Amino acid sequence: MTAIVEVEGLTKRFGRVTAVDNATFSLEEGGIHGLLGRNGAGKTTLMQLLTGQEFVTSGEARIFGENPVENAAALRRVCFIKESQVYPDGYKGKHVLRAAPWFFDAWDSAFADRLVKAFDVPLDRPMKKMSRGQRSAIGVIVGLASRAELTFLDEPYAGLDAVARRRFYDLLLEDYAENPRTVVLSTHLIDEAANLLQRVVVIDHGSIVIDADAEELRGSATTLVGKASDVEAFATGRTVVDRNALGGIASVTLAGLSSEDRRAAAQAGLEATAVSLQELIVSRTGGTDATDEEEAA
Amino acid sequence: MDDERPIFLQIAESLEAQILDGSLAEEGQVPSINELAQFHRINPATALKGVNRLVEAGVLYKRRGIGMFVAEGARARLLSDRRAEFAELHVRPLAERARALELGSAEVHDMIDKEMNR
Amino acid sequence: MTAIDTRAAVTGAPARIANVMRMHVANPMPTLIMPWIITAIVFGVNLSIWLMVANAAGGAEYLEPRAFQYNGGVSWIVIFMMVVAVQAMSLTFRFALGFSVTRREYYLGTAAYFVGLALLYSTGLTGLAALERATDGWGLDAAFFAPFGLVDESLGLVWLLYLMTMLLFFFLGSAIATVWVRWRAYGLYSFFIGLALLLVAAGWGITAADAWGDVGEFLTTTPLAQLAAWTLPVTALCAVVGFLFLRRATPRA
Repeated sequence: MTAIVEVEGLTKRFGRVTAVDNATFSLEEGGIHGLLGRNGAGKTTLMQLLTGQEFVTSGEARIFGENPVENAAALRRVCFIKESQVYPDGYKGKHVLRAAPWFFDAWDSAFADRLVKAFDVPLDRPMKKMSRGQRSAIGVIVGLASRAELTFLDEPYAGLDAVARRRFYDLLLEDYAENPRTVVLSTHLIDEAANLLQRVVVIDHGSIVIDADAEELRGSATTLVGKASDVEAFATGRTVVDRNALGGIASVTLAGLSSEDRRAAAQAGLEATAVSLQELIVSRTGGTDATDEEEAA
Repeated sequence: MDDERPIFLQIAESLEAQILDGSLAEEGQVPSINELAQFHRINPATALKGVNRLVEAGVLYKRRGIGMFVAEGARARLLSDRRAEFAELHVRPLAERARALELGSAEVHDMIDKEMNR
Repeated sequence: MTAIDTRAAVTGAPARIANVMRMHVANPMPTLIMPWIITAIVFGVNLSIWLMVANAAGGAEYLEPRAFQYNGGVSWIVIFMMVVAVQAMSLTFRFALGFSVTRREYYLGTAAYFVGLALLYSTGLTGLAALERATDGWGLDAAFFAPFGLVDESLGLVWLLYLMTMLLFFFLGSAIATVWVRWRAYGLYSFFIGLALLLVAAGWGITAADAWGDVGEFLTTTPLAQLAAWTLPVTALCAVVGFLFLRRATPRA
């Protein structure tokens, strides 16, 4: 499968701030991929570099194998929806939806109408007067109905409540199934989206810290809880990702436990829970001070 | 869907469970990849991986242009596979636990008889 | 699928540039309605002043000939085009960029739109000038839409002058807009300071060469059509500079 998004040694500096630091990864065509990380980690900048809206300081960003800057042929196959999208003064929701087909060749008006009903957006209201959730809804509608080959959704559901978000995931999956394309979703609400993602790229302070298939990450770390002495005994010689203690109880997060290991842990009286994708990412992106990997003595 | 194991495995297991309890009949059609993905709210590629696992194991087969179907004899095969692992997966932990609680073999046999005859 | 998309034939560059123009029209208020409102207001103010003066004089026939022909109200409308351009560009650039439009397509589309607007307004204002003449200066021997010496000139020349000056102000406005879009407030400060310095330097230069007389002679003796033509290189320069500035502009919030 060809890579639809490729990033090589990409660096972007704004004055003294390094927003993206020597990033390298690629994303396969035709999947729903996640670009995850904390607020301000560099997700939006990365997407702006990939859509030619920002200029690289060094390194390369490629979509469809080409440089996106001023590249009409490549850009017309892309739709980039971001929360900070500005709209011309006086534009109402209906103006945005009227203008969208001019920019996206594969625009589906019927689908857009369905989405408007699904999200209950007031089309006659000026964009400036819409609530955050309503603006996001318009963005989501444009992002989904554009049917663009490469769709970037940057925190598309800021301000959307849990019900609307659920609707978004369902609509995304449904439409993605019928009209396969490549979707890159950036979010800090990881657990909600975790099951939808194929590849997960995690960025922290501008650097790529995780670049793996979601399936690989799933179950890649396990937390064991039990009597402190039992826990320590079990953790000896294993890769410890995190450890905590409270009174006589200790918890330790270990990487790479096989099902046999888990059975052994159960026998040792330890309670095992898998680390969710969100917890994994939180621990790797500057959670608390317990982010050091260490070999237990 | 739990966080512990790969989702595609859980999909495969869910389908196997449905075949075993009879809700998916032999030669009957299995939900499509897209239906599975949407129902479980997972990535279609993952659903596909789970289904393919069963196709490779001979539990499901594909009819071009129509969909996925349960293979003949799949239920019997799954039953015998499960039976083979029964001792290791369920009896051994039972025995270990019984030993830990200092229960004797005869007591455990009685308990098993009572449960089986419920 | 990573090969170059050959659907260029379906929505080629001309179509996408036309789409940029449509984007400007989607909300017609700032570019298609405001200017007419401004025109109506400025004209209305002038007209009411004339009527008051005529009334005070006891009737239009008691006024000095050509009394109401020396007013520069219409220049406000022309200069307003600069504001229209600044508004149009700064409001829509970031939107367009966010909707997969390249800077080049955006600039060409917007420039084409401005040319269209210039034609529209020149024609409209010339039409009003014709109406003015047909009604003997609104019954007051006044001239608002073709004031000063233009009263005696042909409508064709009036149209040409309107067109040339509007183009100049549109592209001056768009150049200012690109400075704003790219460098925001600091850019504008630098731009105007630079412009001021340039004008002062020019003034110094002309004074040093004792050339004010020549400048005055040039302005008064050159036929208006030629003067108008002299604005074209300036307009073209603004257009080019505007594009060069925009090429590296980004949608920074």
